[in-house]
Amino acid sequence: MPKSINLHPFTVLALTAAVVTMTTAAGLWWLSCAVLTACALVAGWTGHLRRLAVLSAAILIPTFASLLLIHGLVSQQASGLIAAAGPFRVTVGGLETTMVLGLRTAVLVVAGLLCTLLINKHQLVAAIDLSPAPPQVGYLLAATLFLVPHMAEKQRAIGQAQALRHMGTGRGLSGWFQRVRLRAVPLVLASLQDAHDRSAHLSARGFPAAGSHTRLRSVADSATQQRVRWISLLCAVLGPIAILAPLWGSQ
Amino acid sequence: MIENQKNWRSGNSMLLDLNIERFRYSGSEFDSLQDIKMTLSPGSLTVIIGESGSGKSTLGKVLAGILPRQGADECRGKINLAGQRIEYTDLEGQRINVAGWAKHVGLLPQEAGHYLSRIRETVAEELVFSLENEGLPRDEMRQRISGISKHLNLDYLLERDPAKLSGGQERLVALAALAISEPSVMVLDEPLAGLDSEATAAVTEMISRLRADGTAMVVLSRTAKPWADNADALVKLENGQLSKSSAEDRLQESVSVPTQRRAIPGNVEVLLDFSGVQLGYEGAARPVLDGLDLQVRAGECVGLAGANGSGKTTVLKAAAGLLRPTAGTLAVSAPTGMLLQNSSDQLFERTVLREVSFGLPKKGTQRLRVPEVLSRLGLQDYAETHPYELPASARRLVALATVLVREPQILLLDEPTEALDSEGMIRLQEVIDSLLNRGGAVLLSTHDRDFMHSTTHRVHPMTRKPEPTAWTS
Repeated sequence: MPKSINLHPFTVLALTAAVVTMTTAAGLWWLSCAVLTACALVAGWTGHLRRLAVLSAAILIPTFASLLLIHGLVSQQASGLIAAAGPFRVTVGGLETTMVLGLRTAVLVVAGLLCTLLINKHQLVAAIDLSPAPPQVGYLLAATLFLVPHMAEKQRAIGQAQALRHMGTGRGLSGWFQRVRLRAVPLVLASLQDAHDRSAHLSARGFPAAGSHTRLRSVADSATQQRVRWISLLCAVLGPIAILAPLWGSQ
Repeated sequence: MIENQKNWRSGNSMLLDLNIERFRYSGSEFDSLQDIKMTLSPGSLTVIIGESGSGKSTLGKVLAGILPRQGADECRGKINLAGQRIEYTDLEGQRINVAGWAKHVGLLPQEAGHYLSRIRETVAEELVFSLENEGLPRDEMRQRISGISKHLNLDYLLERDPAKLSGGQERLVALAALAISEPSVMVLDEPLAGLDSEATAAVTEMISRLRADGTAMVVLSRTAKPWADNADALVKLENGQLSKSSAEDRLQESVSVPTQRRAIPGNVEVLLDFSGVQLGYEGAARPVLDGLDLQVRAGECVGLAGANGSGKTTVLKAAAGLLRPTAGTLAVSAPTGMLLQNSSDQLFERTVLREVSFGLPKKGTQRLRVPEVLSRLGLQDYAETHPYELPASARRLVALATVLVREPQILLLDEPTEALDSEGMIRLQEVIDSLLNRGGAVLLSTHDRDFMHSTTHRVHPMTRKPEPTAWTS
């Protein structure tokens, strides 16, 4: 059972932004590895490690493969040749470029995914609703975040109705393709119909709020967290400038 | 524009006065409502009875300001609400601020789930959704939750996910979410559909309490039965026109025809056999039910009775093969067909004909049966109509047709009478009788006591207790 962390969603977002921007700007392989290790430790502590690993692998394996193909296997560098065969040239420099770019991407992906796993989406919407942001922001975020679960629920219902008629019950890859084909159009049409049916009642319930609004849900916050957020935001903006400015001077 | 926020409950003998000369949906060739005159006073109960397709839901939406849609529907008439006059003419109608209107007139739709926002994590948050948008302080919201949950016995649901409620629980939560805003007029479209006896009693009591507080109630219902004794006005809506209800309408309880069910001998073949079955959903903290022993024999109709959320739908889904038991054995020895509780979940094609033919082999014998099944259920004239455009009762029958065309031997019916009008009820009864006479079996769940007693051989009680939930105001 994943553990919930008692941090304000904005704090998690600000920390993630600071870590990602500064690590990307630094471009140091050991720093990227340290951040990835820290992410793995946090994920392990909060019970999200397995999910984080699966999701990250789904994105990073193809990413690393494409980077290797572009920079590692057909390197144009003259020195540090490791192996060559026809159009393929593997060099030390090419592999280094692959690793640095791959690790930078990995930090962005892993830290970003961990952030989404740590933040409770209902807490995030509530935090935005309770912030001075315009009500439309909370509305847009809620509509976006909850669209996928709604469609997943609808898709399950359509799947059950089709299974009752012995359709879309095949196994394997062909069965999967058949299910996608059978469910796609009904899913879109049903979702549109559902949105139409609900919209009048959402309006009647005053959504989105035109003026000041409140939330039953409270989002825990503290002065310390507010300070951390400000420092993180400053780091996210000024950190990369501080890291990259000396390099601009030397070029 | 209705922007007046004043509470008009006190000191006013008339809350709403409606006079609709005609209303016609965009693209329709006939009027859905004609010569509708209504006056609602504080604390009154107006019951409008009518068959499916009579215009009840349309009238409810007009009362709630959802219809007419500006620039689309045609409407002529006027409404006086909260001291303001809204006039509709053939040329132009006034634009209504639906949120402002809803503070005076609230509507619980027939498909109660549509009233819920589905963007809140718990039932408690869903209940106060409109209050949050109004900017009510948190303490006051907590007080109102506490009050409404006490009246409707909702305590055990408050921390539940609104997306995972049973049909009856969903209706109860939607009603509470509507009542918590305290509109001066509440329009309830089939408020008791799918509710168990306890919830029905709670809702009825809630309505009495709201009336005592000065809320005018309008109930749109298929039958007058539960309301006739307490109604201040009981009117009938037929072909879009209101008329005074007759004594016959008041006495009409149910169209269920008592059927003489002969006892099923013990040596008859068992078609459906649950033995020590445990059923649950993936990720749930505990199973929905455990140790279920139930046998359904050929020619037998068994009813599942129990409170909302007691697991009736789960049992039917397991029998249909949609859910595997986590323990025990379930033997199904004949083809099954299931009618889901919500017809909309079962319909996804462009026309009724395509819907009923969906998935049938093109040259198979079952496809040849489609016209016969449509005719048997009185749907032959709707073959080329989109299922969503049909009245609720006809839509339910289309869902039933999709099941019957496959000639199941075991018919599984989840709240089959919900949304059915009297003609639909007769057709349903005929379908059940015919299947039983052919040696099939029926397992159904319903809160319609008359239907249960007139249709089933025996009733299997479902006794799962709801999970307790701590809630502090």
